[in-house]
Amino acid sequence: MNRTPDTRGAMLSTRDLTVGYDERTVLDSLDVDLPADAFTVIVGPNACGKSTLLRTMARLLAPRHGTVLLDGTAIRDLPTREVARRLGVLPQSPLVPEGVTVADLVGRGRQPYQRWWRQWSEQDSAAVDRAMAQADVAGLADRPVDTLSGGQRQRVWIAMTLAQDTEALLLDEPTTFLDLAHQVEVLDLLHRLRAERGRTVVAVLHDLNQAARYADHLIAMREGRVVAAGPPREILTADLVRDVFGLDCVVVPCPVTGAPLVVPGLTAPSLARRAGTVDAAPPVDAAPGVDSAPGAGSAPGVADPARPAPADPTVPAVRPHADDAGDPRVGSYPSKGH
Amino acid sequence: MTAVQSPRPTYAGLPGRTLLRLGPASVQVRRRAVLVAAVTAVLLAAAVVLSLSLGTPYVAPADVLRSLSGAGTPYDLVVRDLRLPRIVLAAVAGAAFGIAGTLIQSVARNPLASPDVIGITQGAGLAATIAITTGAAAVVVAPAALVGGLGAALLLLVLGARHGLAAQRFVLAGVAVAFALRALTEVVMLSADPIDGLRAQIWLIGTLAGRGWSETLWIALTLAALLPVLAWAGWALNGTALDDDTARGIGLRPVARRVGLAATGVVVAATVTAQVGAVDFVALVAPQVARRLVRAERPPLVCAALVGALLLVLADLAGRRLFAPTQLPAGVLTAAIGGPYLMFLLVRRRRRSA
Repeated sequence: MNRTPDTRGAMLSTRDLTVGYDERTVLDSLDVDLPADAFTVIVGPNACGKSTLLRTMARLLAPRHGTVLLDGTAIRDLPTREVARRLGVLPQSPLVPEGVTVADLVGRGRQPYQRWWRQWSEQDSAAVDRAMAQADVAGLADRPVDTLSGGQRQRVWIAMTLAQDTEALLLDEPTTFLDLAHQVEVLDLLHRLRAERGRTVVAVLHDLNQAARYADHLIAMREGRVVAAGPPREILTADLVRDVFGLDCVVVPCPVTGAPLVVPGLTAPSLARRAGTVDAAPPVDAAPGVDSAPGAGSAPGVADPARPAPADPTVPAVRPHADDAGDPRVGSYPSKGH
Repeated sequence: MTAVQSPRPTYAGLPGRTLLRLGPASVQVRRRAVLVAAVTAVLLAAAVVLSLSLGTPYVAPADVLRSLSGAGTPYDLVVRDLRLPRIVLAAVAGAAFGIAGTLIQSVARNPLASPDVIGITQGAGLAATIAITTGAAAVVVAPAALVGGLGAALLLLVLGARHGLAAQRFVLAGVAVAFALRALTEVVMLSADPIDGLRAQIWLIGTLAGRGWSETLWIALTLAALLPVLAWAGWALNGTALDDDTARGIGLRPVARRVGLAATGVVVAATVTAQVGAVDFVALVAPQVARRLVRAERPPLVCAALVGALLLVLADLAGRRLFAPTQLPAGVLTAAIGGPYLMFLLVRRRRRSA
């Protein structure tokens, strides 16, 4: 999985990274490379160490041993102020200072460029304006952050990290606690940052389908190890989901983007009837996905439960990969280990 | 230094602020904070004149002003020698309490934290009580109180440092330290000669009576020496409202910053408490009043200082005149205001979190 032992092409890398809390070792001798100019998503079950990895790479946690390399330099040898000019971090649930306004909070992102005797500059103004425009919060500039909705608030926090003007952005579960529309809104924003601004974006996400939809590079973790890493279309298979989450599932192409779509298998027989959409539902003992790698050479639509959608291959409105030439609706998803 | 509105049409600095520039240096000032500071300064001046004029004998404000200008009036003795030293001390001590309270509350991220809640005042009180009851010379009491306050702070830093001076633990450790020191003080007082115990009691309440220029000088010198630190602190306070991860993300070192700010606040608090005794609640109330007036997430230090000065001058005046000829120590008055205020804060916070 670690095809490049040197860190060329990687913005952030870890070498022999071991991190733990008290007695417990969360990450053990981990080597990870995050490609530059890509949207990398880290997925894995709860407590698999994905947040720990992100937080260690963002130097919020100190490793027991091993190093985090930022463009090839050990991050602990760099002054924190300099790291903050190259690496923006959005923690999982940041605390909103009581009564702080949107512009105020976004302005905090300029901290790494300021001193107590040089508190504001033209560049600061420009960066804050730009960040608020990009995150679409310019209209909220004078509002107190604690009066905003969850989605707006998250966009404000992202705007603060954007004001930092960093090449890379690390986000720990940026969509948690948001409703679906707000989740898509935030992920679209991150996607645009990568596609249009050439930022390197790294996020921990819970939703596999969102990860597949938006990621250029997917890292699947389990128990502190990386199980697979690569483009989601190459690595996201039913086998991988079973390995990582211990869940049987079917992987079909998403009818909109063509990215792999993970549909859990028939975990309870009574679910099939209630769905009511599939007359010719396979017998329970042949539930889709169970003991079958449905991707193997099959065309979309063969895998049963997702049947209605791929039959109507509407032109996708949004595609996560602007540079993806192949027709996303056709193709197979090989088992891992390619 | 000149105020420059940026040529950019959007804004110079952040909304509601004016950018002051001098060469490469630039400072952002909240316009509302300037307004609050100006109004509070005028009120403070008025309170000082009122306090100089009221009392026995009554001196008309016009005569107060004439006496202050050095014109030479029959009231010079009353105004300049008897009342002025104590009132100036009230203003300077109040300002110092306001600054100390702002620093400590920001570090603790808690409006209930202040030097008298986290044990600084109690440390000073214990040391002063020991000095008084062991018959030490009067000049020793203030330095002893200073050492006591700093010692309590050191204990607090040691207790809290293991967890990076995390807000919640910092306050809890402070309350524990305060209770322990208070209990020790009671023990010392009870086992002492009753007359000395009474003197210690008076010190513990905190009063400005019989105090003046020399106490003012000590506080003012400390503040002047700390001026560069306070200039840094005014800026550094901006980061304290952020959680540690977010703060690190934007390139701050939150633990070092908290220790620096807390140490500054502690030195100011211990100095002023050593000079005027345990005048409670000014440090607690002034930053919160200033914060609400400025409508910001934290009070600017200058505003908190001015509000603190105004509060203590008024408390001293009320203590002198409310039950005249009986004189109440300023500490009793501030406690009388601060107690209900504390209850108000508690009730409000509970309602919020519910």
